[in-house]
Amino acid sequence: MTDTTTANTTPPLKRALIFLLSHRAAGLFLFILLLLGIVSVVNPAFLEVQNLKDIAVQAAPVCIISCGLMLVLVSGEIDISVGSMMGLLAACMGAMVSESRGHLPPGTAIVLTLGIGVVIGLLNGWLVAYAGVPSIIVTLGMLTALRGVTEIVMGGSWITDLPDGIRFLGTGAFMGVPISLWTALGVILISLWLIHRTAIGRRIYAIGSNPHAAYLAGLPIRPLKLFVFAWTGLLTGVATLVSVPQLSVVDSGIGVGLELLVVTCVVVGGTAVSGGLGNLSGVLCGVILMTMISTVLIFMKLGENATYWSRAIQGLFILGAIIADHWISRQRKS
Amino acid sequence: MDIRPGEVHALCGENGAGKSTLIKILSGVILPNEGTVQWDETPLPLGRVHSVEAHGILAVHQEPVVFPHLNAMDNLFVGRESAALRGAWLDKSTMRTKAREILANLGEELPLTQPVGDMSLAQRQMVSIGRALLHQCRILILDEPTASLSARESESLFEKVHTLKQQGVGILYVSHRLEEIFRLADRVTVLRDGAWVTTADIASLNQETLIQHMVGRDIPSKQRSDVPSEDSEHRPPVLEIKNLSREGVFENISFGIQPGEILGMSGLVGAGRSEIARAIFGIDPFDAGEIIYLGSPLSKGFTIQDTIQAGMAMVPEDRQQQGLVLPLSVETNLLLPSLSEFQGPLGLKPKPMRATGQSLIEKLGIKTETPAHPAHSLSGGNQQKIVIGKWVHRHPKLFILDEPTRGVDVGAKHEVHRLVRELAAQGSAVLLISSELPEILSLSDRILVLCEGTIRGEIKGNEATQEQLLKLALPEETRRSA
Repeated sequence: MTDTTTANTTPPLKRALIFLLSHRAAGLFLFILLLLGIVSVVNPAFLEVQNLKDIAVQAAPVCIISCGLMLVLVSGEIDISVGSMMGLLAACMGAMVSESRGHLPPGTAIVLTLGIGVVIGLLNGWLVAYAGVPSIIVTLGMLTALRGVTEIVMGGSWITDLPDGIRFLGTGAFMGVPISLWTALGVILISLWLIHRTAIGRRIYAIGSNPHAAYLAGLPIRPLKLFVFAWTGLLTGVATLVSVPQLSVVDSGIGVGLELLVVTCVVVGGTAVSGGLGNLSGVLCGVILMTMISTVLIFMKLGENATYWSRAIQGLFILGAIIADHWISRQRKS
Repeated sequence: MDIRPGEVHALCGENGAGKSTLIKILSGVILPNEGTVQWDETPLPLGRVHSVEAHGILAVHQEPVVFPHLNAMDNLFVGRESAALRGAWLDKSTMRTKAREILANLGEELPLTQPVGDMSLAQRQMVSIGRALLHQCRILILDEPTASLSARESESLFEKVHTLKQQGVGILYVSHRLEEIFRLADRVTVLRDGAWVTTADIASLNQETLIQHMVGRDIPSKQRSDVPSEDSEHRPPVLEIKNLSREGVFENISFGIQPGEILGMSGLVGAGRSEIARAIFGIDPFDAGEIIYLGSPLSKGFTIQDTIQAGMAMVPEDRQQQGLVLPLSVETNLLLPSLSEFQGPLGLKPKPMRATGQSLIEKLGIKTETPAHPAHSLSGGNQQKIVIGKWVHRHPKLFILDEPTRGVDVGAKHEVHRLVRELAAQGSAVLLISSELPEILSLSDRILVLCEGTIRGEIKGNEATQEQLLKLALPEETRRSA
């Protein structure tokens, strides 16, 4: 992504670069290894199991939502409401299980939280597919609106009395591996099946690749778009359930900025903003890379200022990825 | 109208006659306001592509219906996955076998895993047709299947049509190219202005009577304005090309054009014709050679602005994307290249603009309700008249036309030809690129035939024949084996 100018003069190098950029997973994987190499030389503590586990736990909810958002982008749409959606779902979940508020059993609360996620996703999808509003506008509106609803639900206070049943989702482990990682693994497997082995998956790629052809081929475009938004809503619910109870407090600021992180991961992972193109392995590498960055910056011993850089670097990555995509498609044409 | 099994039924009509709409109804994409389609004497459920396909009616639309990011196999099966479903799983190995079988049946060796977007137009068209054959096909609708194919590729398509016909498949064939219709069809149905005109056996028609049915008026068929006056040969050329080369695209191209001359460029798709035109106009770079325009060579690295400034004009192949600003009005589109002419002290002067616009619309015979109507509301033929007409006002010295009548109906084609002749009569040099041999033959004073990036031959327009051009255009190996 960085040395495109030097590569232009040397064809073999350029070819390698094109290969790595177009096989995004391979390129990112090498980049991650390089980064790991550098940071472990500067500070070997980075490779300690506890640190790697912390990074993985941070990455899990991002990974879960990315699996959904990737399909939204592949279908040719975008969803930037997932951050606020997580905030609202966290507030709802907290309010439902809190002894001083809803006092519902954890099982009921889990089902209802996922249900609310699906309903919000359906609303997004309906506005996009049936009312014909551009998805960037719909989800931008939702980004603000849902955050507002969250504040109403919270009523200006925090929820601190989460029962153990819910806390277990965030803090519990199975065979030494946190619940959230198992969940992420499950979501990845389901997504792989959905993408490669079902008609729905192939059709989502088709409508994003050429909407007009999809229309002429009689593909159910609107139900498919409704599906990708609802699916993303459901996965945001799943991510909320396994990440929010890691802490004992629910406030109205959960998930702020998450939508940008998720979009960055998906796009850096090689998913085309214009639809039709994207694969899960690239997105997974994108998630790992983007969640590593802030920790890497801390371990690089660059002083306190270094951590302030993480947002700027996130932005640079998304720009770099989009420029790389354009460059690749130009190379392919010529 | 009716379609019988094992026949090729051609559907003809000018652009806007309602062919595509009829096809969309038949294939279930849109619903008719009234009326039914009978299938084995029972009404067909319309408005759903799937239910129509289940009856074995399959359409191959004008633009190849492909998904560029997906590979050939996925393209064949998307929307038709039921053919390869095992429970909730797609059975990849069944898909692979079936895809190979279908493509082999079409005589195509395509890599199944390559994204279709990387394939040639002809290969995409084959994938598109393969999609239709995946189902047990009883009626195949082909809408302008040869529009994006070269002569050779069309030939192999015709063979496939023939094979299908013998298998008892009814084929509804739409084409603007009358030669194809006379070659393939058993019967013809003509539509005009959305209404049925006639259905007749092909044997009872000839080209002239068929055209008459289509346009509802007489069209003088070939009328070559034999004006290649002898003295024009001695005038200095407007444009002279010397040894123009671009690696892998074209090499050692040399020719000249005199003022008032129409120079035709013939050849198969991919022979490098458009690329040469683009290089002359400053769109694409070239590696070696010289372009001498009005006696002085163009400096290296000249741009489109330079060539337009110097009085060149070009009508690109893809008019909608490259030649028109579709949402803008007809008038604005026409005056776009000459806006500086209407520049007053307080911005553009509206009155002379309106007058010029109106007179251009009349002169060009553009059918529009008002000059203020947006360009996309016009039919393809009228849009093409705008694309050409907007340069007419500037009196270009060199006019490059790339496939000026592709996808344009017979009536509009005739008017475009008239325009081209008029331009030449006014003293413009015209470089005409066309894949339609009759068009090249009837318009050109001289014809260059290109093949694989080199000039294969030059023939005087009034001496050339279709056979001669085609023979020169085919690559060596094919000619030897033929």
